[in-house]
Amino acid sequence: MIRTEGLTRKFGELTAVSDLTIEVEKGEVFGFLGPNGAGKTTTIRMLAALIAPTGGSATVAGFRLGEENRSIRRSVGVLTETPGLYKRLSALDNLLFFAKLYGVDSPEKQAERYLRLFELWDRRDRPAGSLSKGMRQKLAIVRALLHEPQVLFLDEPTAGLDPEAAMVVRDLIETLRSKERTIFLCTHNLDEAERLCDRVALFKTRMVAVGKPRELKERMYGRRTVVRLADPSTGIEQALDLPFIKKIERRDDSLVISLNDPEKENPILVKRLVELGAKVQFVGELEVPLEDIYLDLMEGEDVSD
Amino acid sequence: MSRIRVLLAKEWRESVRNKMILFGAILLPLFMVGAALVMVYQGRGIEVSAAQIALFNTALMYFLILPAIIPLAIAAYSIIGEKEQGSLEPLLATPISDLELFLGKALASVIPAIAITWASFGIFIGICILLLGGLPPHVLTPPWIAAIFGLTPLLSLFSVGVTMLVSSRASDARAAYQISSFAVIPAIVPLIVYTSRKTLVSLWLIGLEGIVLVVAGAVVLYFAIKVFQRDQVITRWK
Repeated sequence: MIRTEGLTRKFGELTAVSDLTIEVEKGEVFGFLGPNGAGKTTTIRMLAALIAPTGGSATVAGFRLGEENRSIRRSVGVLTETPGLYKRLSALDNLLFFAKLYGVDSPEKQAERYLRLFELWDRRDRPAGSLSKGMRQKLAIVRALLHEPQVLFLDEPTAGLDPEAAMVVRDLIETLRSKERTIFLCTHNLDEAERLCDRVALFKTRMVAVGKPRELKERMYGRRTVVRLADPSTGIEQALDLPFIKKIERRDDSLVISLNDPEKENPILVKRLVELGAKVQFVGELEVPLEDIYLDLMEGEDVSD
Repeated sequence: MSRIRVLLAKEWRESVRNKMILFGAILLPLFMVGAALVMVYQGRGIEVSAAQIALFNTALMYFLILPAIIPLAIAAYSIIGEKEQGSLEPLLATPISDLELFLGKALASVIPAIAITWASFGIFIGICILLLGGLPPHVLTPPWIAAIFGLTPLLSLFSVGVTMLVSSRASDARAAYQISSFAVIPAIVPLIVYTSRKTLVSLWLIGLEGIVLVVAGAVVLYFAIKVFQRDQVITRWK
């Protein structure tokens, strides 16, 4: 649904996006993560045919960037960092304006459908400027969805929202995923990215890493089993002599053991620990937050060329 | 064309909710009509003389200031309003073309300016007939008609082009309005100079002013259209 090959954008001497090559499949929620100034918004702007790349090529929703820009804009919805609503116009007028620009059939019906879906129908006649921050964000999301785009670019969709409103937005993303919409999600919220995204890309002017969150974790740290012991006697890790163990660390009353195939190796590991006299209380997989991977990978990356 | 209409409708809906624009579009024409009436009223009784000519020329000039001034506020608030609200990017993300966007924004200011100027002139003529029992001589002459109907659209277009250029670089609507006001003055200087002369406004002067405005307007609109390219709007506008 989105395919880029060496996509690059320079502003004079500054390289905002360098040699970006990605493929995003239909129905995929693709997280695009990176610090401020990493080029995430520039990437969205290029892919939404708002600004031209200075190098490389891309197709979005089957249309070639630079040659079929209007078709791309018809096929994508964009939620910008700020809601960008017309504050003096009512919520309904805001939507009708955009629905007509996108050439939506029956703009009134479509606007009503989405306003009801997002529980904004009762506030349809209120000026957008008088709505709460959460409602404005919901209205901006509705605006991006009105023309039923195949691809949705969401730039920080939950930024500044209270937890309840953020949850509504996350639920919406889940719903859209179930409807086979492709979502390109820029976010600083790594927990959100981990929960929502099928794959994430860590980006800092250039691609640092891309993959499923679990794959990235495994690639970075391997798979690790945590064993909590009731009597953490010293020396047990030295006595643990199984050949498949890659590394053992002690963390307080637990052992963190790096393994290749925990499903197969954990039973043998636990059996051996018991044989060695250890009182095993809990066994589980060590969950590494995406944040740790993000911080490790981003460390030392330059923001620009 | 339909997208231009949609954009026009939105611009006007926003404009009527903006007190600054609304007052400018109502109070300024009323003031100009009143001032023109005073000029004509004072000049009607006296014989054709330098004083009467100056009064009548000044009355005409008031109607030519309107199409230069009215679009300033509409265009400045229309463009800078988009910047302030952050609505430019969502707008540019739609299938609207750069030219449609430019035309929609420009016509949203030009059409009201022309309509208000012509309506004000009509009201002026009507009041003249009602109060003075008829039109004084030298008021509804070919040079006046050519000026009102020929120069008004050209002045509006020039004014809008200037405001669009200024607004692309400004971040405050009032500042853009003030800078644009100064920038459009050269366009009406020939008319201002003429009001001090002792001969009635002529078709020759109106034609000359028209040529100046066509050339200046074309230059300004050329650069304004260039500034209204998506890439420019997103990356260069302040």
